[in-house]
Amino acid sequence: MSDSQALIEVRNLHKHFGDVEVLNGISTQIAKGEVVAIIGPSGCGKSTFLRSLNLLEEPTSGQITFEGTDITDKSVDINKMRQKIGMVFQQFNLFPNYTVRENIMLAPVQTKQMDKEEAAKCADELLERVGLSEKADVYPAMLSGGQKQRIAIARALAMNPDVMLFDEPTSALDPEMVGEVLELMKGLAQDGMTMVVVTHEMGFAREVASRVMFINEGQIQEENTPEEFFANPKNPRLCDFLSKVL
Amino acid sequence: MTEFFQEFQRKFIQDFIDDSRYLYLLRGLGNTLIITFFALLIGVALGFLIAIVRATHDKHGTLKILNVVCKIFLTVWRGTPVVVQLMIMYYIVLVSMSNKIVVAAVAFGLNSAAYVAEIVRSGIMSIDEGQFEAGRSLGLTYGKTMRLIILPQAFKNVLPALANEFITLLKETSVSGYIAMPDLTKGGDIIRSVTYDPYLPLFGVAIIYLVLVMILTAGVHKLEARLRTNER
Repeated sequence: MSDSQALIEVRNLHKHFGDVEVLNGISTQIAKGEVVAIIGPSGCGKSTFLRSLNLLEEPTSGQITFEGTDITDKSVDINKMRQKIGMVFQQFNLFPNYTVRENIMLAPVQTKQMDKEEAAKCADELLERVGLSEKADVYPAMLSGGQKQRIAIARALAMNPDVMLFDEPTSALDPEMVGEVLELMKGLAQDGMTMVVVTHEMGFAREVASRVMFINEGQIQEENTPEEFFANPKNPRLCDFLSKVL
Repeated sequence: MTEFFQEFQRKFIQDFIDDSRYLYLLRGLGNTLIITFFALLIGVALGFLIAIVRATHDKHGTLKILNVVCKIFLTVWRGTPVVVQLMIMYYIVLVSMSNKIVVAAVAFGLNSAAYVAEIVRSGIMSIDEGQFEAGRSLGLTYGKTMRLIILPQAFKNVLPALANEFITLLKETSVSGYIAMPDLTKGGDIIRSVTYDPYLPLFGVAIIYLVLVMILTAGVHKLEARLRTNER
């Protein structure tokens, strides 16, 4: 994988919260079309790492290059960059003051990527894709957790991003709703979307990811294809972790 | 009983009809409403601005100097009586301003802004940080995230507290008489001093304030109900 092909390149990323070192020198590359699953124990820094990729967390030091632009550079318009980096949150974070369709339309219209008519059409297409066309005009409070998360994915897709970041997208869901969200994500992966997914769903990591990354104590301690990663884990901490979750 | 009504009628005519004395109340009411309206505008506009500065500082540690300025403003304006502020405004700060309505509107507006600011700030801080992150992650600017996502939700949450503040403001303008501003209260007091009847003019004034507050409250309830549609 050469530099020019990498969609995202992370170099020696550090993040401190006060005295606590959360990220301790992370370097990696993510190529177009890759689906990277990030696993690790809680508090290991995996969410912080993911949130650094669109600068929701500002790194203490290190570089993050997205499509050739160093987004940690203060002179870069981060809003422009974020329009190409979709994000899905554990808690969905739909906007309760807008209907489902308005949630999806908001960003494309406000960033002037589409006019209202185009955005409404795009929203309806996305709603069909996530199987929630009939919910277009209701408010998020009326939806189940799984439906909310599917809308949140549609909302991120409306900006036509080049990569999607998922921060534990199924962790806040009732067990019976996990499947519908994972199915949707699997479909996205098959369509060639570049995805970085922090998850506890080992089945998803094994089945859908092209690479699995184990983060512990703020470092990538092991990464490999899912087959190798789960069959022959080398890092003792990873072996311990897998023995507990599998 | 008939005597009582005859007396009431006599006093009513003497207090309100003779020499068109009702005009004191009517003009006073007009002034009270104008002062309240413009004070409300100033209070809401400035209050929201201060709230945004303070909340931005609290959340992100930026705008340090502006935040200090806002804090000083809040301390001084909430720490001194509104009557004193009104007189300082009239006799010192805006001494060259001959229009007392402007002086009163500015004085009450600034005072109200201090309270509105803290109410709105509490509303902004009550909105989950995830809402903010979702807006920013979609590429919206800080300002648009604030205006389109955070403030509408914050406004809905603090509407009852804001209504309280507006009711207080309306009634507080009754001290406008301190700068010889002929507002509603002053109007009633003038009638009392002319007719030597305290009952009808002062109860009349009280009833008008009460009705105004009831109208305001009903309006806010309607607005609340409308904003609550997205919870169903």
